[in-house]
Amino acid sequence: MLASFDTHLFWQALSSGPYWRGALTALELTAASLGTAVFIGFAVALGALSRRRGVRSISWVYNWLFRATPTLLQLFFFWYALPQIWTGFAGSWFTPFMAAWIALSLNEAAYMSEIIRSGLMSVDPGQELAGRALGMSRRQILRKVVVPQAVRIVIPPTGNEFITLLKLTSLASVISLHELLTSANELATATFRYNETLLAALVYYLVIVSILMVFQARLERRFTWTSGRRRGRVAAPAIPSIPHG
Amino acid sequence: MLRAENVHKRYGDLEVLRGVTFDVDPGQVKVLIGPSGSGKSTLLRCLCLLEEPEAGAVTLEARRPGPGEVGMVFQRFNLFQNMTALENVMSGLVTVRGLSKSDARGQAMEFLNRVGLAEKAAQYPEELSGGQQQRVAIARALVMQPKAMLFDEPTSALDVELVREVLDVMESLAQDGMTMVVVSHELRFAHSVASSVLMMDEGRIIEEAPPGEFFSSPKQERTKRFLSLVE
Repeated sequence: MLASFDTHLFWQALSSGPYWRGALTALELTAASLGTAVFIGFAVALGALSRRRGVRSISWVYNWLFRATPTLLQLFFFWYALPQIWTGFAGSWFTPFMAAWIALSLNEAAYMSEIIRSGLMSVDPGQELAGRALGMSRRQILRKVVVPQAVRIVIPPTGNEFITLLKLTSLASVISLHELLTSANELATATFRYNETLLAALVYYLVIVSILMVFQARLERRFTWTSGRRRGRVAAPAIPSIPHG
Repeated sequence: MLRAENVHKRYGDLEVLRGVTFDVDPGQVKVLIGPSGSGKSTLLRCLCLLEEPEAGAVTLEARRPGPGEVGMVFQRFNLFQNMTALENVMSGLVTVRGLSKSDARGQAMEFLNRVGLAEKAAQYPEELSGGQQQRVAIARALVMQPKAMLFDEPTSALDVELVREVLDVMESLAQDGMTMVVVSHELRFAHSVASSVLMMDEGRIIEEAPPGEFFSSPKQERTKRFLSLVE
């Protein structure tokens, strides 16, 4: 027999302050961590592609360290161990959000560096050759030619990483970060209704990921190098109109 | 005068150039031929400083060439895929010469027009034919006002019916007095445009002569054999 579904509780959960704030925290943590991870990952990727062996090994060790250890352990480390090692982090300013931000950024940077590295390597070496023949410096070639072309390759896997990170933020509940799943759990425990409360949380995740997918499609179009992409912006004549005699 | 003096270049154990001495006077067109692996492309890359020779020197008017002073056109065009035809031609002026975008745009349009592609200015490389891409690549090098232009098999990646439009542009450049070094097996082009033709083999220049003499009575046995295969 199908149990009853409390529609009222479902809507109440969906529109409640804790859910909304929890979702916002999850989204903020994801965006901040991914943004930071892209920067660090880019540096690590450049290091991995360096001609200097010492620089390459630094990148290698970084990736090895952060990919081989559990994310949960890293969260615990930055929240509990870091303030003990460095008392500067023991103050009340160091919130669970910050600890989670550091842990997830550093962790995600390892994965992003591999994505960015493969993007950079996918650019035809002839592009760099042409830049050098014109007299451009390596830095100019990287900025104006190689990176813009690598972005197109990097966007789809980065969208994947965003989704993975969004779901990883729920791990941060273990260091007492109040995010979406924490709110859902609290309401569920208070009402003994898991059905409606968890479903409401699920709706939030779906909405966030849907928005991301729309945003990603736009970004991909932005980095497609045909003038056809402009047709997407200017409304194309859909059906030729039949001239009235 | 663009000059290579006793240039040596090796990649690992492979000695690609074994002492090449070579010069082009202003307004001359020299065509390099030879089997693959004979060092033609490497010589061009040394001439435009894409490769640093281990020994010997490359000079332009008795000094080291500056950025963009020796233009290079590649077999695979190598247009910047993320830029329109116009942006490709502007790129060197803006990033290397530091021109303002509007000044660069004006000059770039002039050179696109010269290769007959002004109306393709807003197209991306992906949307152009191979022949059109190569003409944009020529304009991109020319806009830097180079003292000499190098062409590395500029037509060998093209469909047969697109070869002509690129050769036409190169011929008109030669008529305007551009100093050129061309690696190409378009022997008709060499015949009608070259001041002299050079044969390379195993990292050395083994023969050089005006095209008439070069093709009708080559002196080296290696050149004779090679020509009989190409023709």
